[in-house]
Amino acid sequence: MRLVIESPRFGRVEIDPESVIEFPDGLIGLGGSRWALLTSDPSSPFKWLHCVDDPSLSLPVCDPHRFFADFSVQVTDEDGERLGLDERTQVDVYVTVVAAERLSDFTANRRAPILVWNGHGHQVINQAPGNDLRAPLFAEVATAAAGGAS
Amino acid sequence: MLNITRRRGERIVLGDDVFISVLEVSGQTVRLGIEAPRSVRVYREEIWLEVKRENEAAAAGAGDAKLPVDVPAPIKRDGETSRSVAVTRPDPRG
Repeated sequence: MRLVIESPRFGRVEIDPESVIEFPDGLIGLGGSRWALLTSDPSSPFKWLHCVDDPSLSLPVCDPHRFFADFSVQVTDEDGERLGLDERTQVDVYVTVVAAERLSDFTANRRAPILVWNGHGHQVINQAPGNDLRAPLFAEVATAAAGGAS
Repeated sequence: MLNITRRRGERIVLGDDVFISVLEVSGQTVRLGIEAPRSVRVYREEIWLEVKRENEAAAAGAGDAKLPVDVPAPIKRDGETSRSVAVTRPDPRG
């Protein structure tokens, strides 16, 4: 049986219950315990993390490794213990994206990545240095725009 | 808001299983020790708040549902998607 949600953003969306990701703690400050990754085009670098419990909530996300060569995630050992996560755990990593009118204004939150494994998701505080809350996703485009070359 | 005065070495208890100790008081700075069940997430407020705001900003987005599909994602990776995560103890004074 499929889940059907009425999304203000996408209209009626059918979700395979198998693809639902449980977030025991929700997203930080946002909540939501069940989410699904939606995409209309598998080749797009972006997906939508859509809340199943509250259809008004959806956030664009991307795989930071596709945009940032130097990206890595480090969690505190308290988080590691709390989440049952260690260096051997293989996780999918996503970061939330703030979309904008212009590509140069797109940013990604490298500070609080979302880790997904075994059907569960957790947003963690990244302890690895140099991870900004608002990292330009298209740094080259942003640099060109700042230089007036658009 | 409940106001409680504590001295160094004294604690407060939230519910039955969260203990907050005053470890050290020095000028404008207080060092607190927090003992809580593993399931309780503990954040410095400013970090929690900035991530909450960023999540809200992402959810609000540019207004419409359009995300560019054909954009330059500088690093192409096919196949492997899973990664491992480093787990370390940060500087306890940090």
